Amino acid sequence: MTLIAEVEETLKRIQAHRGVVATMVVNAEGIPIRTTLDNSTTVQYAGLLHQLTMKARSTVRDIDPQNDLTFLRIRSKKHEIMVAPVLKTANPF
Amino acid sequence: VPKQSQAKVTALSRLNSKGKAGMQTPSPLSWCILGIICREGMPVYSVFDDEGKDVTPHPLFRSDPNTVLPRQGKLLASSAYFGATGSGFLSSFSMHQTSGVNGTLGSFSRTYGSSSTSLSNASTTESVLDEIVEPEQKRSRLLTSYNFSDVQVRQEEIKEWTNEDLDRRVDIYLTETETIWILDMPSVVVSVESEDAGRVLERNRIYVDICKNRPGNDRFVEKMMQTINGAAKNKEVQCDKIIMEDKGMLVTSWDLYDSFNVSEIEPTSKYYHVKTVFFPYYLLSGSTTSSLMISESAVLARIHEEEECHSEAILTSENFQQNLFFMERILMENIFQPKLAAYRQFPVLIGLFLIGCPAAVKEAKQEEHDKEKDKEEQKDAFVDPSILLERLWSYICDLTSGHNVSTMAWSKVNPDLLAVGYGAFDCKEQKKGLVCCWSLKNPMWPERIFQCEHGVTALDFSMASPNLLAVGMYDGSVTIYNVRSCNDAALLDSSESSNKHTGPVWQMRWVEQDRGATGDGKKERLICISADGRITEWFIQKRLDCIDLMKIKRTESEKKKLPGEKERKREALISQQAAGMCFDFHPKDTNFYLAGTEEGHIHKCSCSCNEQFLETYRGHKGPVYKVAWNPFSTDMFLSCSADWSIILWHQDSQTPILTFSSTTAFVHDVMWSPKSACIFAAVNESRAEIWDLSASILNPVTSCFANPRVKFTSVLFAKNTDCLLVGDSKGEVSVFELQNLAAPNNNKVRFTRTRWWSSEACMLVWYFIPPKGASVKDLANRY
Repeated sequence: MTLIAEVEETLKRIQAHRGVVATMVVNAEGIPIRTTLDNSTTVQYAGLLHQLTMKARSTVRDIDPQNDLTFLRIRSKKHEIMVAPVLKTANPF
Repeated sequence: VPKQSQAKVTALSRLNSKGKAGMQTPSPLSWCILGIICREGMPVYSVFDDEGKDVTPHPLFRSDPNTVLPRQGKLLASSAYFGATGSGFLSSFSMHQTSGVNGTLGSFSRTYGSSSTSLSNASTTESVLDEIVEPEQKRSRLLTSYNFSDVQVRQEEIKEWTNEDLDRRVDIYLTETETIWILDMPSVVVSVESEDAGRVLERNRIYVDICKNRPGNDRFVEKMMQTINGAAKNKEVQCDKIIMEDKGMLVTSWDLYDSFNVSEIEPTSKYYHVKTVFFPYYLLSGSTTSSLMISESAVLARIHEEEECHSEAILTSENFQQNLFFMERILMENIFQPKLAAYRQFPVLIGLFLIGCPAAVKEAKQEEHDKEKDKEEQKDAFVDPSILLERLWSYICDLTSGHNVSTMAWSKVNPDLLAVGYGAFDCKEQKKGLVCCWSLKNPMWPERIFQCEHGVTALDFSMASPNLLAVGMYDGSVTIYNVRSCNDAALLDSSESSNKHTGPVWQMRWVEQDRGATGDGKKERLICISADGRITEWFIQKRLDCIDLMKIKRTESEKKKLPGEKERKREALISQQAAGMCFDFHPKDTNFYLAGTEEGHIHKCSCSCNEQFLETYRGHKGPVYKVAWNPFSTDMFLSCSADWSIILWHQDSQTPILTFSSTTAFVHDVMWSPKSACIFAAVNESRAEIWDLSASILNPVTSCFANPRVKFTSVLFAKNTDCLLVGDSKGEVSVFELQNLAAPNNNKVRFTRTRWWSSEACMLVWYFIPPKGASVKDLANRY
């Protein structure tokens, strides 16, 4: 299977899980590439989460520049938002 | 003006100065515009005065027409070399010396385009910097336009720099020029002790006297004079707008770290590179953009070409795949947290982790509530705490549904990694087989999927090289996969082997054997048993090849010759060999092993002797599907068969010790518990049963029923936890938790040599220390 097809399939699997409301792929500038939500909500989420991720990453790296943010989870009363950011420093895995 | 500049205009105009005063005025500044020479759309003026001398104002700056307009990056690079001059550069500035620049200022020249600036006077440093930092392209165009083919400029050929030139030893001479007087203001103060002191004092005195005598003195007359004020002219000049930019930066410690360690950071995307390494400029442009480091020039140049490929590039990048992987895992953890915690025997947390799926929360809460109720009930009524089977989850996905689970095996190093082989048992239902490696962390999709040509009937992980998975198939071929790679292709397979099996490989194992004699230490061998009656050992060299360890010959059951019958001829046998169905090596002494056959006999064999069996155990009336030594009491073993029974044997006795049967269905699989000596699990087509010999030998302590259309086909205990895995004919591997399991009992199963009850026919078999095998068999046969 081509790489892109595999990736698409994984994305579909994630979306199909019970309890997953929406999935979004955002590029490094905060522009959404793939989304399962409507446009306005997507743009809103992408903008807000992008900023928060940048801030979180900045915090982590300020404390130790060799560290990097690997995952961000925000639990609220109603939902949980999970963000997997782009790694800046070398991947330890 | 630009429109006019296209045409050659020769216009003469003469401006005379207005009027003359009585004073001698300098020669009137009358300018003639002789011609407008056009170049590059910008009007260029030459000015000649009355005498025809060219008094065109020359710019102080000359740019070299041969050099390319610099990129922003080099601007600052040039300032780095500021002050450092090599002999090559010395020559370059001499060539730019124009006659228009007066020598009294020294060699003041700048080469804007080349990568060095050389100045002989430090005082003009600041002005240079200021001008370089203004990135005004328009301005530079303006400046270059002045550098038309001026005859006065001596142009040297710019020679190509070769490697030798660069490596050549360059001598730099630092010399001091003569002192250049710019301003000389002699002081008006003279020391009292100097030689001129007397004269100066005298002159001062005379002057004071004159000043004293001045008022009223005839020698001094006041007179008024009028000077001519030249006509004032206002001239407005408009210059290009100086674009100001404000830029603010938040300097963070990671930003500084990144700037210094740029080379170590992997380029996150091929399309965005860090172009400039230079420190101050980089800081400015680096981190105000988001997570990627973009240099301005790169953006301008490339952003058009690569917008289309962005999303695809991002989706297929390794980073994204990694993120997808993590995301899926974490989702699984969210969904399955209570089950996984139960698997690991952790306390289950409700209410914290299940926010994502409200349905599951309700479910879990309900379960919790029910459990509490049950516990209360249990406390009220005295219930014997028996082993309970509770279903946690199933390993199933679209790919595997519909396939028959034929075999399962744990990885030897990672106790959470399970390999499941899918293949039908019957030859009628054969379709393409499948091997899936499931991980505990993702119960909804396997980690590795290997498609196989034929149904998979046996598999095992290696111990010595834990990434090797050996798979045996229905057509007798053996394949070895490397689970490290996601690649579907087999590492090795037996298709080229001449000695391969001709019948399905029903079981295979990697067996570690001490080669004490040869002093090699533990060596691992891959052993298979197959329906063509051979037990083979496979070698992994360049090709996969095997040798026979044993051929299972058909043994006839000894028929008692009834008196009076004639001897019958031995029946002609279709094949001399009996199909082998299973085998198991002794846990303590790996030289011995048991082999179960299709005829129902179990043979004890030795690796050192491949001609004869050491012993034969007869008891089953149908094919023996599985034999298993007890890991604790290593003299006992179990066997299960299609004759609906499970038999417990002692290796010294050729007749069964105990027979267990509870249903009228084939018993496909049986396995001893790895923790407890008396507990084993068996699976027949409709039920999965747990037997505890210390509790009851007549009935299983607990059993779990399969769905009506589904048959259970294989069973596996988990090593690191009290769980049982049951595979069925629809491709589902269910994970059950064994609750209330007694503390692991390593006491050996002690069977005192007294009477035994067999559950099936209520037969009483007296087991003595057998004087001779025959007498016991007689008893057995009679009853």
